[in-house]
Amino acid sequence: MSERSGDAEALGGGRSPGPVLAVEGLTMHYSTRAGVVRAVDGVSFSVGKGQALGLVGESGCGKSSLALTLLKLLPENAQILSGRILLDGMDIVPLPEERMREYRWSRIAMVFQAAMNSLNPVYRVGEQIIEALEVHVESAREESLRRVRELYDLVNLDPSLIMRYPHEYSGGMKQRAVIAMALACEPDVVIADEPTTALDVIVQDHILREMKNVRAELGMSMIYVSHDMAVIAEVSDMVGVMYAGRLVELGSTVDVFRDPIHPYTRALTSAFPSVTGEKHELTVLPGEPPNMIDPPSGCRFHPRCPYATDPCRSETPPIVRRGGHWAACWNPTGEGA
Amino acid sequence: MDVQRAPRSVDHSLWRTRLGLAADRLRENWAAFVRARVGVIGLAVIIFYALLAAAHPVLMSTVWDESIYDPVVGYSFDETRQPAPPSLRHPLGTDPLGRDILSQLMFSARSEFMLGLLAAVVTVCIGTMVGAAAAYFGGIVDTILMRLADIMIMMPGISVLIVLSALIGVEHLELGLIIGVLSGFGGTGVVLKSQALSVVVKPYIQAARVAGGGPLHIILVHVVPNLLPLSFLYMMFTVTSAIFSEAVLSFLGLLDIRMSWGLMIHTTESAGYLTQVTEAWWLIFPASLSITLLCSSFYLVGRSLDEVVNPRLRRA
Amino acid sequence: MVGYLLNRTFQILLTLFVFMSIVFFIVNAQPGDVSNVYALNPDLPPETRERLRDLFGVNEPLWKQYLVHVRNTLTGNFGVSFSNYPRSVADIVMERLPRTLALFMTATVLSFYLGFALGKIIAWRRGGWTEYTSTIGGVTLYTVFTPWFGLMMIWLLGFKAGWLPIGKFLDPELWRDAPTDANAVFGMMIATAVAASVIVFAVFALTKKRRGSGAALIRIGSLAGSLLVAVGIWLVAGTGYLAWDIIRHMVLPVVTLTLISFAGTMLLTRSSMLETMREDYVVAARAKGLPEKDVRDRHVARNALLPVVTSFMFSLAFAVDGGVIIESIFSWPGMGQTLVSAAVAEDLPLAVGAFVFVGSFILLAHLAADVLYVYLDPRIRY
Repeated sequence: MSERSGDAEALGGGRSPGPVLAVEGLTMHYSTRAGVVRAVDGVSFSVGKGQALGLVGESGCGKSSLALTLLKLLPENAQILSGRILLDGMDIVPLPEERMREYRWSRIAMVFQAAMNSLNPVYRVGEQIIEALEVHVESAREESLRRVRELYDLVNLDPSLIMRYPHEYSGGMKQRAVIAMALACEPDVVIADEPTTALDVIVQDHILREMKNVRAELGMSMIYVSHDMAVIAEVSDMVGVMYAGRLVELGSTVDVFRDPIHPYTRALTSAFPSVTGEKHELTVLPGEPPNMIDPPSGCRFHPRCPYATDPCRSETPPIVRRGGHWAACWNPTGEGA
Repeated sequence: MDVQRAPRSVDHSLWRTRLGLAADRLRENWAAFVRARVGVIGLAVIIFYALLAAAHPVLMSTVWDESIYDPVVGYSFDETRQPAPPSLRHPLGTDPLGRDILSQLMFSARSEFMLGLLAAVVTVCIGTMVGAAAAYFGGIVDTILMRLADIMIMMPGISVLIVLSALIGVEHLELGLIIGVLSGFGGTGVVLKSQALSVVVKPYIQAARVAGGGPLHIILVHVVPNLLPLSFLYMMFTVTSAIFSEAVLSFLGLLDIRMSWGLMIHTTESAGYLTQVTEAWWLIFPASLSITLLCSSFYLVGRSLDEVVNPRLRRA
Repeated sequence: MVGYLLNRTFQILLTLFVFMSIVFFIVNAQPGDVSNVYALNPDLPPETRERLRDLFGVNEPLWKQYLVHVRNTLTGNFGVSFSNYPRSVADIVMERLPRTLALFMTATVLSFYLGFALGKIIAWRRGGWTEYTSTIGGVTLYTVFTPWFGLMMIWLLGFKAGWLPIGKFLDPELWRDAPTDANAVFGMMIATAVAASVIVFAVFALTKKRRGSGAALIRIGSLAGSLLVAVGIWLVAGTGYLAWDIIRHMVLPVVTLTLISFAGTMLLTRSSMLETMREDYVVAARAKGLPEKDVRDRHVARNALLPVVTSFMFSLAFAVDGGVIIESIFSWPGMGQTLVSAAVAEDLPLAVGAFVFVGSFILLAHLAADVLYVYLDPRIRY
């Protein structure tokens, strides 16, 4: 893991003075009765101001765990074993819970995987946004209400909905409300965990475009987490590909999509049809992500990799750089191979 | 876990496969049950009382003289005054009528178990049929059964039994039946129906329907077996309420029975020893504690089973 | 919302009707009929027996008897008590109902509050010492042999410590020269309690939107204020010492009833909290940076309350049963004790009358709980 920590900064922080969020060698494990689950294993990346990073991978590869780790919102059986999470250069890993509370939402906010369920059914939606404001911004109730109205405008929601209950919202409306809630305290970074997975394609498209506009308008950084390559391709500047708790490829979206290095990335990019690009055979990746309690040795992808050779099975793969991105692989594919 | 077992000859009956699977699940669940710990304590207490109940007839036919130790008509001639405090001859003393308390306690344990079992079996039989029928047929059958369940749930059991005991003589048999009916058509039926609802939508039920299985066949062969683990859990709660109700009613002197833990305390009360808590403790504590212990043990076992069966309560 | 409540009211009225019918058929399922108890006396001449049977109405056809039964139940006419001859059942019930209400409602509110507050805390500290002690302690209290537990309470707090009066609901010595009778005082006490709770409830509802120390001050102030005003009125009226006597007698049965019934709520709150804690909106609340206390109280506990209220409706019958036993143990002359003593004396009209009232009371409590539920769950309230 240590060999990779330097690369992330070099690549991710290229466009702006210093990264807003930098993650270095982050490792998080769950201890369960069946054994230790290595959910996040030595992950490093960084996000510059105004940048959008997409994290992609099959379900169960540790994306959502990584998202929760960034906010240190972990269940009791989870533990951050090593690594740093630098927010504007300050490490938040050793912060006690009380200090951490101040950072949550005001610095890093989150749009949750199941937006429908992340609104409490017994409170009015507006009250739930005001609640977040009251904790972090000292302001009168009228002030907070005005702010909520602003936010509703920003995400194209009718302000008359503010004092309604979640069950009176449609799926797309709830999603917008949850985004408005995430923006409430003007955070530096917003993490969106599968922000549009449960929505139909048209609403999905609208919301993604709005999120993009909002980001441009407010100049915040975003981390999109999704299993859907199409979504990531549409909204992010940088892409990180995760497999079995590890980051296996990281680079600018254009580079990663045009010329994937890692066979896994290649499999993911060819598993969905490209509308604009050239025609190619759709391939479906065989098998399932590995058991994270006892992951494969060497390169974790080797049991499913068509190019696997002996070193893949026993040794941690080296970093391969090409153009503006890198991957961890013994047998890189594509142009340079 | 045991993957090799999958190919089985088709003429093996459905029940044998089910039993095999059930045994596997049982082993897993037992481990979860033991981890919950409180259930094991409950189980230990239940086994203790079961042993007491089993030992009574043995003692009566070997070391205990029937004329002295009979729980109902015995009399201890050796004591100068009744009730006598515990001694070697009478480890828990004698009651105001000169009868051995330990013998009464052990004798009653058996009838408590019989009563609990009767009530539990009646509950489960009615509850599974009500639950399965309401879920399978839906519509008007469901509506009627569930309205009936509402009424049963709102019935204050003890008060119903008090009124009934004024009208008819209530003994263990009637008591068990009434409690079973109240619980089977009431709470247990409702819970089992919600479980059955998740069973009747399974593809194999549709398949059985298409294959021309009659409703009774489908309910008995496909739905009811899936309700058994949950109904077993509710049996435990029924046993608790049966033993509790019996104790309260016989304490109030409203039951026509010969001997029970509740009746022992009723005897103590009629003889005026109920307030002499320190002076005549052996008249009050053994029976009261037995009722409390056995009731809470069945309840604890039920709760622990709940934590095993209900995945939402399981620990991560 | 109105539709939902109307629907529930209709259901409950239907239930009441079925309930009355069941009572009727249970009574009529006996070999012979009710009059047998008295009319089979061999000393009675046949004419007298026939007259008695006419009086009891048992010579009428069954359907007519049933109609009469329904009419009588609806008008509260349950005939004359055998054991308290010549008082009518309705008269006895009316005298004792308020006493049961006072006992039952105080204990129910207390046990619900206590159970919910404790369940909330033990769910937050899962595992270890707290969990096992509270589970075993809770289950023991829930399943304890109630008469014995009541007895131990009397013995410990009444006899040994001598803190509280034992048995009955007032001190006859004190009441001999009292200017008014116990039932009037009881009625006044219930009226005071209802008025005070309405005021406090209104204040709480009005300050719901406000947070911080100001709102807390107003709430505590309203609580203390209404309490002071109530005490003041009683002192001025000069019957305060009588009310105090009744309250002193109430403490022991109320505490006992609360202890045996709070555990059910506590254990249920715990499981409900554990389930709610896994909801996404709880993680979201944490992510918002809310303090742990707010996450627990405003998000987890508030939603965990819903199933607890539902199940509380179901456990009302259990609480009423507990009340019946407690009343007989503490010689509290309410409906429960009336029911038991009528059953022991085979006073059928009184037993049936008391039972119908107990049943109707549970039905009404259900309706009240329904209203509460509608208030708590906005998904129903539309």
